[in-house]
Amino acid sequence: MKTKRSLKRKLILSAVLAGILILIAIFSEVLAPNDPYQTNAAMIRKAPSAMYWFGTDNLGRCVFSRVLYGAKTTIFATFLLVAISFVIGTLIGMLCGYYGGIVDEALMRLADLTLAFPQMVVAIAVAGMLGGGLVGAMIALGITMWTTFARLARSHTRTVKQEPYITAAKLSGKSGCYIILRHILPNILEPVLISALTQIGTTMIGISGLSFLGLGVVAPQAEWGSMISEARAYIQIAPWAVLFPAGATIVTIIVFNYLGDALVEYRNHP
Amino acid sequence: MNDKITILRGQNITKKYKSNGRKVQALGGLDFSLQQGEILGIVGESGSGKSTLLKMICGMEKPDEGQLFHENEEYTGAHIGKTGGFLQMVFQDAYGSFDPRMTMKQSLLEIQHVTMDEILDIIKKVGLEPELLERKPRQLSGGQCQRMSIARALLSHVDILLCDEITSALDVTTQAQVVKLLLELRREEGLSLVFVSHDLALVSQLCDRVMVLKDGVCVEAGDTKTVITQPKNAYTKLLLENVITVSA
Repeated sequence: MKTKRSLKRKLILSAVLAGILILIAIFSEVLAPNDPYQTNAAMIRKAPSAMYWFGTDNLGRCVFSRVLYGAKTTIFATFLLVAISFVIGTLIGMLCGYYGGIVDEALMRLADLTLAFPQMVVAIAVAGMLGGGLVGAMIALGITMWTTFARLARSHTRTVKQEPYITAAKLSGKSGCYIILRHILPNILEPVLISALTQIGTTMIGISGLSFLGLGVVAPQAEWGSMISEARAYIQIAPWAVLFPAGATIVTIIVFNYLGDALVEYRNHP
Repeated sequence: MNDKITILRGQNITKKYKSNGRKVQALGGLDFSLQQGEILGIVGESGSGKSTLLKMICGMEKPDEGQLFHENEEYTGAHIGKTGGFLQMVFQDAYGSFDPRMTMKQSLLEIQHVTMDEILDIIKKVGLEPELLERKPRQLSGGQCQRMSIARALLSHVDILLCDEITSALDVTTQAQVVKLLLELRREEGLSLVFVSHDLALVSQLCDRVMVLKDGVCVEAGDTKTVITQPKNAYTKLLLENVITVSA
């Protein structure tokens, strides 16, 4: 069995790796050696070299610079989507769990209905209707994502609601909103936040997946999914144009999943 | 003639819950009254309806039938926030009655219009050190936490304390200290108490009157001494026999 100390080490390592990725995304403009949007007819599909570390694509653009810029788009779009879904879902879940009644029934049945379809199928349909673009892709994924947080927050709220300190707060004349924000939210935040961290990998796959299908980020904006989609047509002659953005996606998903797992393990350790 | 004011009264309190598709009676037409400055003991086994009755009294739940009165003013079905104006509850789980993430000071300051001076006065009254206010619930002993819980109830300046098995999680010495504190508070503050317990020996030391509940119905009620020494109902006799057997 793993000790608390080894779990802490795992948690620190994964947090450092995630931190490095976030720093790369933040400073991508400084780190990029070339303009990621600068086409160069003389440098089309060049293999990795000292000047172009990850080679060039079909338009002669620097793949390394595009991967760095893509990190910003992919990671921040993912964070923003998870954050918005987390806030909306947690709020809905807490209100449903605390007040119950017909609104709770209606919203939870809506959540059941949303979850009855595979998330990606719903996202493709919605993104298709919205006509593509990063915002459209985020809306499409967010339509189903809030339900995860809402159900989790509702379940924890129903448990915390039974605690005597909630009854004591009610007897002190505190309003429902006060109790939700001051007593319930701080006591359910930890498990819901951990769930949000574990959602980062899945969300990243979703955003990249929609971009790959042409329903997310549109050219020429650098984004890993759309880069893979563009480069797959000439994968046999310039595999680096696919492999590096794909590798970046895989590494980032692994790091954030690792961080989520480490947090869950650390928290659940007796 | 009894010239004391009836501060709390319940008439025909009935409550049924649904269980596996059928209705189960938790309280069946219960009548009770509490005089000013009186300690009313409510005893019975688990499932007898003691805690359900407290939930009805404090407004956590609404009775299916019957009425509740505070000083002759009906408050049946009133929101729990309104009942908090004249009664407070002390819980069995002292630790659980405080937000685990808040210090005692933060929890006590949540009470409306309360000042730090008032908190320090009450803390002294319940026999606690002011330093304990900076601690979180789990950093206190069970007895200290229960005293904090009593202090919180007192800070609301209410007439009635509902005590739900408040000594069951405490050791015998701490139990005695809490009972002594309640008796002092009754004498000094004129508080009325509803003291729910399954411990007849404790009830006999503390309460003026006692109600024995079985399956949500009052099977015997009266002056504590009379009920304890001359029980009329077979169920009360059985409860007393169990106490004697355990004591022996």
